[in-house]
Amino acid sequence: MEKQLRETAKKLLQEGTVQVVIGYGRVETGGIGAIFVTNPDNADNLVWNQECSQNLVTYLTRKEIRKLGKAAIVVKACDARAVVVLKNESQLENNDVVVIGVACPGILNHRGSGDPVLQARCETCTERLPKNVDFVIGDESVNLPPLSVEQRSRKGNYAKLAKLMAMTQEERFRFWKDEFSRCIRCYACRQSCPLCYCNQCVVDKNRPVRIDTSATLKGNFAWNILRAFHLAGRCIGCGACSEACPAGIELDLLNLTLSQVSELEFHHFSGQEPGTAPLIGTYSEGDKEDFIQ
Amino acid sequence: MSQIISSEQLLSLIRELLPTKNVIAPVQTDNGQIYFQTLKESDSPLLTEAMKAVNTIKEFFFPRHEVLYTFVRHGNDVDVIDSVPMEKEQVIFGCRPCEAASLPILDPLFAWDYQDRFFQIRREKTTVVTLACREADEHCFCSSVGGSPDNTSGSDVMLYDLGNGSFEVRVLTDKGKSLFAGKTSSSQETGSVCDTPVQKFDVDAVQNWLKDNFKNPFWDEMTYRCVGCGVCTYICPTCHCFDIVDEGSFQKGQRVKNWDSCQSALFTLHASGHNPRETQGQRQRQRIMHKFSVYPEKFDRLLCTGCGNCTRQCRTSLGIRPLLEAIQKKTEEN
Repeated sequence: MEKQLRETAKKLLQEGTVQVVIGYGRVETGGIGAIFVTNPDNADNLVWNQECSQNLVTYLTRKEIRKLGKAAIVVKACDARAVVVLKNESQLENNDVVVIGVACPGILNHRGSGDPVLQARCETCTERLPKNVDFVIGDESVNLPPLSVEQRSRKGNYAKLAKLMAMTQEERFRFWKDEFSRCIRCYACRQSCPLCYCNQCVVDKNRPVRIDTSATLKGNFAWNILRAFHLAGRCIGCGACSEACPAGIELDLLNLTLSQVSELEFHHFSGQEPGTAPLIGTYSEGDKEDFIQ
Repeated sequence: MSQIISSEQLLSLIRELLPTKNVIAPVQTDNGQIYFQTLKESDSPLLTEAMKAVNTIKEFFFPRHEVLYTFVRHGNDVDVIDSVPMEKEQVIFGCRPCEAASLPILDPLFAWDYQDRFFQIRREKTTVVTLACREADEHCFCSSVGGSPDNTSGSDVMLYDLGNGSFEVRVLTDKGKSLFAGKTSSSQETGSVCDTPVQKFDVDAVQNWLKDNFKNPFWDEMTYRCVGCGVCTYICPTCHCFDIVDEGSFQKGQRVKNWDSCQSALFTLHASGHNPRETQGQRQRQRIMHKFSVYPEKFDRLLCTGCGNCTRQCRTSLGIRPLLEAIQKKTEEN
């Protein structure tokens, strides 16, 4: 697979279709990091394995990277959904980027002690062959049969969410209070998120101040909940936010709560269909109104 | 002849201190992470786990959020109520030498054009009991910036884990002496430390290169992968930038001091819309320049202790060491 990936990248660069390939590589520290290949001779530095956790789509909207010219990007199935959302939200034109999808057997969690295990988000993934991409590297064999809502709720992050939703409101509040109390307001969640692309984030607006910038419980609740709301019906579940969070806050659970509502109540699956309008901002006569009391 | 203390005795010393002092040590939280925290009665401190801690002891001197004063309006009058920085004394157990070493580095900064009593009072009221390193990982580079596995700078006491349930106690200051008075026993055992991490770069060579390379494509090329999350600055024991903001309403509010980060685009954004550091490469350059050029020129010391936290916690494997190693390579090419 790696060979095929490198050849594809090399060809795109040689033919001048793109000026840069954003992919994974071994960096100076020996770990896996994003690399930006501009010279076809360096295409062999690209790697693909179960350590390639980062969602690289966040780079597509960064000014520094856009300056490098037209890009090709290596994506997993989940990351590919982020590209679809960026296009649906008019942040990218179809011709802006060449998308190289890699078949993904699931990413391993290397944080913490002990042998690496499959990341929680990958336990419920059944779409391991990227869709809506220009090239697919790897084959169907990685895909898993679809899970019913009931089966899904017993695994990975969905199981954690089911446990959380089974709590009383007070218990659940206490859980989030503990989580958010650790937030240091570094905004690593926002910076890593492929869909947090605003030039000026609402938390950075200070005339007037909308959200306290202080890392107090009040400021932290306001920030984290507001960010989750801004991702409602948009989050594609790549887990970049939780992975980036130095405080280990389970942000993916917060986002999953809203994704589940958008899926079950509105049949909206973020990033699955090119050309779909955002859930928030779209009115349909079929929308449920039973929450109005 | 050395002085030793058993871990049981050390824990009972900690328990003895709890009612009257804030005692800080690494603790495992419910989510499995290790944090330096103010101990509660029920906590079990993990005295030898500082390397795995998410935060550093910085926040017990320079908190992530601090209220400077409160203001209340009465008609046309305003009452200003000063904050009391820290009432209780505090004792920190189990930090690494590279964290303690950051404290004397920061002292002149908080006592330069403005005497920052919030920092100074915390320094005066804190005793630092450091644990000499028995392990170094691939990210450690203290030896490259003048440190070592039992660098005593900033510590009041240095403990050496003897590996048999006891610690050798080497008292370094009067504060440390009074804390351990009558708590230790004489022994023939002496502690040892891990091998000093291999020197990763030559500071002089790097500093010389920095002088001539403010403008160099290196900065952008090396930092494309940085997403500007700023975690490196928040978990750095020496990074100290802050923002002062007012919070509350017109009638009542607080002026607060919050951590800030040079890695954020907003950090240098002017009201005009111009941003003198508009790329991540320029922001990373700023961080390196501040630590290895500006700060040493002004205060005659490096603003880095080689703890390696920036790389250890960077999701894209960047941080000081990879950048300085790359600069080292450049100096060798010339």
